Amino acid sequence: MIPGKILAFLEDEGTIGVSGTRDANLIPDIHYVSGWSVEPDQRTIRCSIAEGHTTHLLSSLEDNRRFSLTVEKIGSHETYQFKGEFVRDTQPSDADLAAHKRVRDRFAKVVSRLFGFPEDLCRAYIPRPGLVICFTVREIFLQTPGPGAGRRLYPPEEK
Amino acid sequence: MTDTVKLPDDIKPVMQNGIPATVVTCSADGIPNTTIISQVYYVDPVHVALSFQFFNKTIRNVRENPHACVALNDLEGATEWILDVQYDHSETEGTIFDEMDMQIEAIASATGMSGIFKLRAADIYRVKSFRKISSPPASSRE
Repeated sequence: MIPGKILAFLEDEGTIGVSGTRDANLIPDIHYVSGWSVEPDQRTIRCSIAEGHTTHLLSSLEDNRRFSLTVEKIGSHETYQFKGEFVRDTQPSDADLAAHKRVRDRFAKVVSRLFGFPEDLCRAYIPRPGLVICFTVREIFLQTPGPGAGRRLYPPEEK
Repeated sequence: MTDTVKLPDDIKPVMQNGIPATVVTCSADGIPNTTIISQVYYVDPVHVALSFQFFNKTIRNVRENPHACVALNDLEGATEWILDVQYDHSETEGTIFDEMDMQIEAIASATGMSGIFKLRAADIYRVKSFRKISSPPASSRE
């Protein structure tokens, strides 16, 4: 189960997400993310993959089911990586589109403030969802820059 | 996908725009790892360098399985550049290392991460291929 603090981060604070897969030959690929939300079981993340970033996505997931999602709060650099297994794909629902708009607006606001780009330009950089990937989270890692980066938060590392 | 591995000159300003990039690697046992990185450095038309700052999973992965995928963000051009690369070697001194170290210091200072960002090595990757993905124009959106 995703810890409450990280659930809150996903819901209210994360501003950019990027996902990764690999094919049968262990060649990795990047898929930009348009938004995310957590299903009521608090283990499954619905990850909206941006239009234009779905090439090879399903063939890789059908081959090995491996999926990783990294979400950062731009500015504070607070970052978490979620690794897990592909469950299913689906077309974006109204709720997925609403999650996309929340992420897109947060991204535009902070990037505009930090980098000086117009908010409209920033908003346009987060494309509409092309496909939703649902995956079960097996591990969560801290990726905030610093000496603790890479530490597994869930399940907790053995001391 | 392009027919050549030579990077065009118009990728250089994207590597220097200060916007973080992303790298995906994969362990030998097949687990992908997605990481946001502060800098991708243009070495020559067929090589880029990534900053090695922390002893992390990306570093372990590329020493087990040298393939990686790097994404660069061009907000002004509404384009993402996706590079398929292969780890070649690491450098801990010399011109590339020194220039990357200086840029890392500048990024750290500008983003409040002084004392946290520290370059340990410049990891040199050979570019196998690249592609550009353009976002639809803003006017086509809601």
